[in-house]
Amino acid sequence: MKFSHKGLLDISTLVGFLLLSCAAGYAQTQVRFVTWRADPQWVWDQAIADFEAQNPGIRVVREVGPHSSTEFHDLLTQKLKNRDPEVDVFFMDVIWPAEFAAAGWALPLERFFSRAEQKEFLEAAIQANTYQGQIFGVPVFIDAGLLYYRKDLLKKYGFSPPRTWPELVDQAKTILEKEKDPQLTGFSAQFKQYEGLVCNMMEYILSNGGSLWDEREYKSTLNLPKAKEAVRFVRDRMIGEISHRGVMAYQEPESLALFTQGRAIFHRNWPYAWEAANDPKKSKVSGRVGMEALPAFPGGKSVATLGGWQLGISRFSRKPDLAWKFVASMTGKESQRRIGLFTSRAPTRKQLYRDPEILKKNPQFESEFQTFLRAVPRPRTPVYIPLSNIMQRYFSSAVVVPNSDLDPLASLASRDMDRVLDLLREKGRP
Amino acid sequence: MSHSHRAALQFLFPSFLFVLVFTLFPIVESFRLSFYRLILTLPWLGQKFVGWENYRDLLTDPVALHSLLTTLMFVAVTTPLEVLFGLGMALVLSESFRGRGYLRAIVLVPWAIPTVVSSQMWRFIFNDRYGLFNFFLFGDDTSRYLAPLADLSLAPIAIIVAEIWKTSSFAFLIILAGLQAIPTDLYEAASMDGATVWQKFRYVTLPLLKPALLLALLFRTIDALRVFDLVFVMTQGGPADATNVLQFYGYKKSFAEGMIGYGSAISVVVFFLSLLLSLIYIRSMGSRMLQTVEAR
Amino acid sequence: MKRKTFFLFSSIAIGCFSLLPFLWFVLTSWKTPSEIEAIPPQIIPSFYWGFYRSALEQYGLLRYMGNSVIVAGATTLFTIAIGSLAAYALARFRLSWTRFYLMLLLAISMFPQIAVAGPVWRILNYLNWLNSYHGVIAAYITLSLPMGIWIMTTFFKELPYEVEEAALVDGCTRLQVLWKVVLPLAAPGLFTAAILIFIHAWNEFFFALLILTNPTLQTLPVGIALFPGEYTMPWGEIAAASTMATLPLVFLTLLFQRRIVRGLSAGAVKG
Repeated sequence: MKFSHKGLLDISTLVGFLLLSCAAGYAQTQVRFVTWRADPQWVWDQAIADFEAQNPGIRVVREVGPHSSTEFHDLLTQKLKNRDPEVDVFFMDVIWPAEFAAAGWALPLERFFSRAEQKEFLEAAIQANTYQGQIFGVPVFIDAGLLYYRKDLLKKYGFSPPRTWPELVDQAKTILEKEKDPQLTGFSAQFKQYEGLVCNMMEYILSNGGSLWDEREYKSTLNLPKAKEAVRFVRDRMIGEISHRGVMAYQEPESLALFTQGRAIFHRNWPYAWEAANDPKKSKVSGRVGMEALPAFPGGKSVATLGGWQLGISRFSRKPDLAWKFVASMTGKESQRRIGLFTSRAPTRKQLYRDPEILKKNPQFESEFQTFLRAVPRPRTPVYIPLSNIMQRYFSSAVVVPNSDLDPLASLASRDMDRVLDLLREKGRP
Repeated sequence: MSHSHRAALQFLFPSFLFVLVFTLFPIVESFRLSFYRLILTLPWLGQKFVGWENYRDLLTDPVALHSLLTTLMFVAVTTPLEVLFGLGMALVLSESFRGRGYLRAIVLVPWAIPTVVSSQMWRFIFNDRYGLFNFFLFGDDTSRYLAPLADLSLAPIAIIVAEIWKTSSFAFLIILAGLQAIPTDLYEAASMDGATVWQKFRYVTLPLLKPALLLALLFRTIDALRVFDLVFVMTQGGPADATNVLQFYGYKKSFAEGMIGYGSAISVVVFFLSLLLSLIYIRSMGSRMLQTVEAR
Repeated sequence: MKRKTFFLFSSIAIGCFSLLPFLWFVLTSWKTPSEIEAIPPQIIPSFYWGFYRSALEQYGLLRYMGNSVIVAGATTLFTIAIGSLAAYALARFRLSWTRFYLMLLLAISMFPQIAVAGPVWRILNYLNWLNSYHGVIAAYITLSLPMGIWIMTTFFKELPYEVEEAALVDGCTRLQVLWKVVLPLAAPGLFTAAILIFIHAWNEFFFALLILTNPTLQTLPVGIALFPGEYTMPWGEIAAASTMATLPLVFLTLLFQRRIVRGLSAGAVKG
């Protein structure tokens, strides 16, 4: 044996050191948070820093995913399909809680998130996180469809913001006729074949008293007269008379750009557009923009599609209690206030809409609040994506071709939807 | 003999491992899964054997049939045009003139550009408000500007233009090689007989170029069948499914909707379609290609 | 004279067709936001570099490029290593089943990706290789092997067998012969195959999209296809990123034009 005494000592100190550092590493518990790059960064950094300050020894590790909802969904579900125990907390788009609940990926939050506490949040946002009577997420911020309009142009022709869709079309037609500006169009929204199209069309159909599908009977309702009437109206009047045909390839950025360039009288978008439209650096119409709840059809009531993001906890997390602490802090009053004050996002805690400081900074929240209260989530189901693809196909076909016969398109879409919905009737459902 | 069998096996084994794991096994697996109903978002339904049901559904699925037609239309329009463009460029560039070397290199530029990049580029050119396409057609009369990517009949054309631009240079390469293989004394003899340029092309070039043209056509057909990047970037299948090609539809079914069984049935159909084409191709061209590999 | 003008005009037409659309996009990357949307279009940009800065700083263009270099580089190395073994056997042993193997490779190079994508995804998922370099590299090696093997086989065929025979007689194993004799002699052919494989891997999108959902690992095509824009379409940044993604390839192509032409038409195998 040629180990020298000194050598042995070295080894034992090394081992001791390693053990110590392991222990230190262990003491610093991590919460792994799958998120995306949110703007402005510091608001979210601050929220995490606060949590870490209040919980010494705990560190939040962020895993930053893509900004696009579809891509983020792929990344996150891949981890959850793998039952990755590293993931503790994640962001969820408003249409996912049902899927995540049904697939057994998201942890039911009953034991943390009491009914009384849920009452503090906007009902629509809570409803979106509830699946079969259990709650699976805590809403962080809320989105809802809103009508933006050119205050200056409406005023010039003595119009008040339209209450009904036909009124909107008539106003736009008058203004277009008199302005004689070839660059100007009446309306800009999202009519490309993608998820946003469903959000847009749902607002027309529901505000005409129709629906997408019957969630009790598992039957599509798109081929009922009310739904078809709304779709026909969009094709013949909203697009046919006052929009330019490019809208059928527009998502949010393109449609917003048209509005901020001063080339559209009316515009449908989410709350974030308010800030962008009123930022002189990004917008040519800042200060001339008004915002209202979306119009309805005569006799119907205004409907805004609910959007927004929630925090969920992975069922495979090894430290759900700690994860909840983090979620509670991120959705707590202080973080929510900061969201209301410094991001162009709308918070989900109701009391903040009475907070004088927030209302002073974001006076638009006051009028938005009514919309948020009424916002309607898209129907919750684990087969939402196939259903949405069928609807996107139908809506796009229906609005792109003028004068086509809607009936066969609608019954075809309904048939396809019914077949997917049939899957939900089968036994073995948890 | 057995020694060389063993040696060959050893050398081929690593490559075969990849082919086995990532191509042959997946094909068999797709085939197996296509007989099941397996939906990722409905785990409680399990993996249920349904026989030919997925295929029956596929046959009556108007969206699938429409996407098959869209794909075939895309192939039928792009490939002949690409070969035609490639032939034109090859005829010019096989003659000797100053700057030919530079021009040959320039022709390769579209081939080297990532398809995703060229898709974004054409999406920008076809923009409805400030795209070059509209400016060329209508000048600054913006009221007449079209929105090609939002139009039922223009959107497929936009994709076709983008595809032709990107891949004509590949047809050019194959045809140029074919042209260079034609012995020059044939042309000299034809000139002596007083043949016009057209006659030389018609009776000398074209017959001898036939294999190369066919080769270019087949390669392009097979490649055009798997169009995806262009659609993904430029239209996402819209408007009204006008650009929903087969590979994009299969991608959506399997990966976005999690319909693994049905998606596999689509994969199997696509597989047999391309297998058929590649068999035709190998029958007509394969032995010639083997000869070029083995003759030397 | 007539001939000369014909070539002048057709050359200009061909050059414009091939170059102008892309040139337009490159020029766009140097425009200011208002120049991008100008009607009539402004041809000469004011050489504004802001979009390059934001593509690099805000959209992490360098990270995408780094990932592309790693993925395409590793794919090229491994494909050449594995492919040259196979190509050597296919060039030197003329057995009935080696011919069949060549045909098999040809056939699988023609399958649309969707025919295998689902199970490939499941295999990678099972191995826990999704969202990893090795996962996407493994898939890419499989994609590039047929093309690589065909090209290298044609090049190996052209080498004189006598040198190898002498080496074999001297007691070298086949592997030693390949390593010491064949590969050095076939270096130009290997290089040609390497360029083509590299370009192919650099440009691949479908599998990258499926396998790499984590933005820190994504390659350039995925980054460019999914360029996010919340308020406007970030055309300036897309054009800047596209230019930077493409210029290396354009230089590679211009530099090695002859080799590429030869490689593609010799094997006549398309990747």
